[in-house]
Amino acid sequence: MKISKKIIDNLKKGGVDFYLSVPCKLLANMIDILENDKDVYYSAVPREEEGMGICAGAFLGNKFPCIMMQNTGIGNSVNAIVSLLQLYQMPVVFLISYRGTPGEPVGAQGGMAKITEDILETLRIPMLHCSSENDLDKITTFSKHAKVIESPVAILCDFNLMKDDT
Amino acid sequence: MNRFDLLNKIQNILRDNLVICNIGLPSQELYKINDQPNFFYMLGSMGLSSSIGLGLSLSQTKQVISIDGDGSVLMNMNTLATIGNRAPSNYTLLIIDNGSYGSTGDQRTFTDENTSLKDVALGAGCKKVIECSGEETLNELSKAIEDKNNSYVIISKINSGNVKIDPIPLNPITIRDRFRKFIGIVKYL
Repeated sequence: MKISKKIIDNLKKGGVDFYLSVPCKLLANMIDILENDKDVYYSAVPREEEGMGICAGAFLGNKFPCIMMQNTGIGNSVNAIVSLLQLYQMPVVFLISYRGTPGEPVGAQGGMAKITEDILETLRIPMLHCSSENDLDKITTFSKHAKVIESPVAILCDFNLMKDDT
Repeated sequence: MNRFDLLNKIQNILRDNLVICNIGLPSQELYKINDQPNFFYMLGSMGLSSSIGLGLSLSQTKQVISIDGDGSVLMNMNTLATIGNRAPSNYTLLIIDNGSYGSTGDQRTFTDENTSLKDVALGAGCKKVIECSGEETLNELSKAIEDKNNSYVIISKINSGNVKIDPIPLNPITIRDRFRKFIGIVKYL
């Protein structure tokens, strides 16, 4: 719970006040925290691409949105990212549970893990890769950076960082 | 009645609300009929008009109308479940259902065969779901906007067919910023 709490606290310090998720077990604690937080909006959504659209609308309405998802969700969302969020220069934080990184027990997650950073690089999305607790201190500044550059940014949280956060 | 006729008929009610308009001909026709700063024209991301409008209605208190199409809703059908569980009362989804992919040459969609978006919306949990003719749409849309306690999904059944029209000349940042200025967020324009 300590890691999850720190991530949400740092996102909130960065101004993020609107959260969506397509659940992942590594995000479960953060979802619990957000469901009990009256200061911010939180909802689950069925699909990441749809979530990108909801985030775009939330930005138009003056919220600073974050969508939480597995790295597989990036694959589901490429066109929405490019021809909506980036086309209109909308800041959105992607908080990504980086499935398929070392410690991952499910072999099939390895496929998307191998290409996740390549996809984000191709999309020119700035990345913050969190593999230790100290990395989480950068989340606040990194989130604010999304607003400054009017662009989506991606925070990748490694499997081993999240797996023991009970 | 085709889409252009319908948009013409409902233009006054659109003018008074925040409008998210679907990519392609719907946006081009709306722009030609009566361009307004409170119209957000989609230049990409087919399928997401309903979702953008939902996010907007959750984030501020003005009434929001998402103008969508049958082909686009079929592409992002999970949106109806999210709307059925999360849409606030300032949200109206207007699905212009002409049974065809109008912007790509009027190929038939599944709503022209076996699929009823009304039944899907009801099954997805949307409470106020109205299916009506193009002629009835203005009245139904007015009632939906006046009802401050419920969100609505209105499915307007019209004929396919398009008018010859040019692409929208506005760039995306202009669309974004004048829209947010209308809401009162952007101050520098």
